[in-house]
Amino acid sequence: MSALHMSDVRKVYRMGDGSEVVALDHATLSVDHDEIVALVGPSGSGKTTLCSIAGGILSVTEGRVVVGGEDITEHSSPALTRFRQSKVGFVFQSVNLVPFLNARENLLVVDELGPRRRSAARQRADQLLEELGLTDRAKNLPSELSGGQRQRVAIGRALMNDPDLVLFDEPTSSLDTALGEQVMELIRSEMKQRDIAAVVVTHDDRITRFCDRTVEIVDGHLAA
Amino acid sequence: MRLALRELVRRPGRFVTASVVLTLIALLLMFLGGLLDGLIRSQTGALRAQDAQAIVYSDTAQASFVRSRIEPGLRAEVEAVEGVREVGGLGLVQLGARVPGRGPRDLADVALFGYELAPDGVPPVPGPGEAYADEVLKADGIELGMTIELGPARSPVRIVGFVSDTSFNGQGGVWAAPATWRDVLSANRPDARLGDGVFQALVVIGDEHVADAIDTATAGRTDSYTIDDAVEAIPGVTEQRATFNQIIGVTLGVAVVVIALFFALITVERLALYGVLKALGARSATIFAGLVAQAVSVTAAAALIAASAAVALDAAIPPGSVPLDVTVSRVVTSIVLLLLAAVAGCAFSLRRVLRVDPASAIGTNS
Amino acid sequence: MFLAIKEMRRARLRFGMLIGAISLLVFLIFFQQSIQNGLITSFIGAIRNQNSPVLVYSTDGQRVLQGSVITPDREALVRGADGVGEVGRIGQGTFTGLPDTPGPDATAGETFDTTLIGYEAGPDGTGLGAPSTLSQGRLPRSDFEAVASAVDERLGFGVGAVIRLLPGDVEITVVGLARDIQLNVTPTLFTTYDTYRTAVRAVNPDAGEPLPNVLAVDPAPGWTADAVVETINGRSPDLDALTRTDAATETPGVAQVQQSFAIVFLLYGLVVPLVTGLFFLIVTFQKAESLTLLRAIGAPARRLVSSLLVQVVVIVCAGIAIGTALYLPVSQQNLGGIALRFEARAVVVWTVLLLVLGVISSLIAVRRVLRIDPILATTGAGVGS
Repeated sequence: MSALHMSDVRKVYRMGDGSEVVALDHATLSVDHDEIVALVGPSGSGKTTLCSIAGGILSVTEGRVVVGGEDITEHSSPALTRFRQSKVGFVFQSVNLVPFLNARENLLVVDELGPRRRSAARQRADQLLEELGLTDRAKNLPSELSGGQRQRVAIGRALMNDPDLVLFDEPTSSLDTALGEQVMELIRSEMKQRDIAAVVVTHDDRITRFCDRTVEIVDGHLAA
Repeated sequence: MRLALRELVRRPGRFVTASVVLTLIALLLMFLGGLLDGLIRSQTGALRAQDAQAIVYSDTAQASFVRSRIEPGLRAEVEAVEGVREVGGLGLVQLGARVPGRGPRDLADVALFGYELAPDGVPPVPGPGEAYADEVLKADGIELGMTIELGPARSPVRIVGFVSDTSFNGQGGVWAAPATWRDVLSANRPDARLGDGVFQALVVIGDEHVADAIDTATAGRTDSYTIDDAVEAIPGVTEQRATFNQIIGVTLGVAVVVIALFFALITVERLALYGVLKALGARSATIFAGLVAQAVSVTAAAALIAASAAVALDAAIPPGSVPLDVTVSRVVTSIVLLLLAAVAGCAFSLRRVLRVDPASAIGTNS
Repeated sequence: MFLAIKEMRRARLRFGMLIGAISLLVFLIFFQQSIQNGLITSFIGAIRNQNSPVLVYSTDGQRVLQGSVITPDREALVRGADGVGEVGRIGQGTFTGLPDTPGPDATAGETFDTTLIGYEAGPDGTGLGAPSTLSQGRLPRSDFEAVASAVDERLGFGVGAVIRLLPGDVEITVVGLARDIQLNVTPTLFTTYDTYRTAVRAVNPDAGEPLPNVLAVDPAPGWTADAVVETINGRSPDLDALTRTDAATETPGVAQVQQSFAIVFLLYGLVVPLVTGLFFLIVTFQKAESLTLLRAIGAPARRLVSSLLVQVVVIVCAGIAIGTALYLPVSQQNLGGIALRFEARAVVVWTVLLLVLGVISSLIAVRRVLRIDPILATTGAGVGS
């Protein structure tokens, strides 16, 4: 079963002057439950739009989107919110972590926003921190962590709700080559270990080798 | 909401400065309210204390003691009205009192009442030449057993006890037998002397609507009020209340605007964070509830500090200067109103919170 | 200036709310200034605006006209004191008055608390204790004529009105009006001393011979009011002589009003600069990145600071302007018998004060702006990090 299945998805924006901008044009993409897909394209190519749609943040103009067996095409806004709480994880490029929460609390944010699992969540957070090598940094604020450590916390948070799909938006953009490779190795091992699908949006060719396959996107079109 | 409160605790700096402004506004509200309460208290105590259903003045008196006269004949008519059970005379003279141990120009302001029916908290009529004094007069040096001299004629009156909240027109009440009062009046205010049996007002115990019945029965030669109405009829009371309440209302408006402004600024700063939270699955309601929780917490803290300051101010101000009376009900009302203002102020940010697009979290720097 | 104005245009709601808050506060300050002055004038205007330099109360009177009584022996002491020139008797009482024709703010048959102040007018009405200046008509020349407080014309106390004192049939004709001569916030009639005595006896037949409440004293040539006050007070501890100004300000209640309002003004006065300073501090934090960018591309620090100060001045001025505009119509009102006035001097003083305080309060934000290091533009950090 695929973790993500987008078929013939179109996203059209209507501008203020009546003209239309097609951000995604007839995009079809399937990602298996243990696949890591790199989504590569220049700025403005539509990769952010695709990511947003896959994550249930944007709705489609045409087409169908199924994530983890759930068809989210016609979901209302509250339904999409619930979907994001449970089925999807995000690692953003910037403004990833809540600045006034320590590492552990940043992981627990997800639990606070959705149905509370309290002690189960706390156990999971501690476990994730240990696996990510952050146990001794659990009480530190983001400002006290290095760039790489912050990314790891973000990854931990993305994994908290045991998602079917994790979306990574330029995870290595602010890191140097060595650190970037470290983070990608971590991403790969964590995803494979847990059998979670991942889409990594990037324009950095150096990291595509950590992914199972690469999909190119140009001007809203996916290359085969 | 826990998120919002944790931010408050972890990053108090920004909120502390807003709290200072709100504390000042809260203190203003409580001070203005306390001033109003204090003024009215010191002007109306003697009337509020009356344990009766009506106060009767003569018709042209405009509810003023000084201009009212009730002759014995008119009193008899009032006593005969159906629904009237008991009638007591009430007379007033306002004089300066010489207090032993005080300088010749340092007089105490006294409102001497001659009464027949005892008001709440005042014992039955004392003997000739004796009187009960309001405890506010203790600040002027008056003590139990002391003999004070009233007016230019230095009429002696011995203080045999103290009562509270019986001030009139800002002057401490002194309660004596009608005969004592009459003697003091004619000795000191010959132009206002009243004949035997003549009082300035009558206090009536009877049925609820006896005030109207009395005026009807006397064909309009009396002007009767319920106690509450008589209090309101004291010159200045209604105007003071109206003016002060208007000022308090506008000040509350300022509080709403300040809170709205402050939280609008905070919200703008955190739009990116809200985008992330929404992407993670936070509902707008949750985020907004957090905002409201912060506003309420900051306002509550400010209100409590202001309340302490107001109480301290009340204690520090010497009696006789600023007529401040900080009551529990006034403080509680102010706090409640401020908390409502906090919620109202947040409403200005609601739209912006609703409009935050979770998509903004992705690709912000690309 | 360009940047400053552009920024305000882009963030209209925020800056608008700040201006709104300041306007309301300024309005409240001015409004209460009017109330304070109007209140005090309505209480003791009659004392302040009569023509006698010195007033002598009895000590027992506690500096309240009505409470003071001058017995004949005390009067003799005053007349015999050094430096005393002319002496006039003044009597004061409160009555119920009924104008023959109701004014625009009154109804037919409506009665009012009326203060009568009787002074020894003399043949042309200019005796000691007369109102200092008239706004209409003339002074009383014979009995049962009076000068009324101008603000009460709207109740029916205009020139030509006949006021009947109840009970009894004393009727007084208003022959002149004067501004700010009220006593105890009631319509006030300055009339002859004999009229006053007749009125007292008519209303209360039991009354004995009314004694004067207060003596008006004109210092003899070569004597100052202060010197005469001293000699009179030295004659007896029962006498309480005061200059006209002191008599007005030391009337019980006036000091209370002034002290109460002082605290109120202090608090309001602090709120305005604090709100302004807080606002600009937060806004400066928020535009940290753009400020850093501007510095990086060559804007001198001076320019950024002056831009900030321009905004502060514009905001505070706008707030004061709107607050004053709100205050203007309200200042013409009559508030329960108190005539409000547009306090131009207070407006000027507070404008300067609030501008200065506003600028001072924004200095914290200015300090932040000056500490911006342009190099941070390249590393992507801003003021807050």
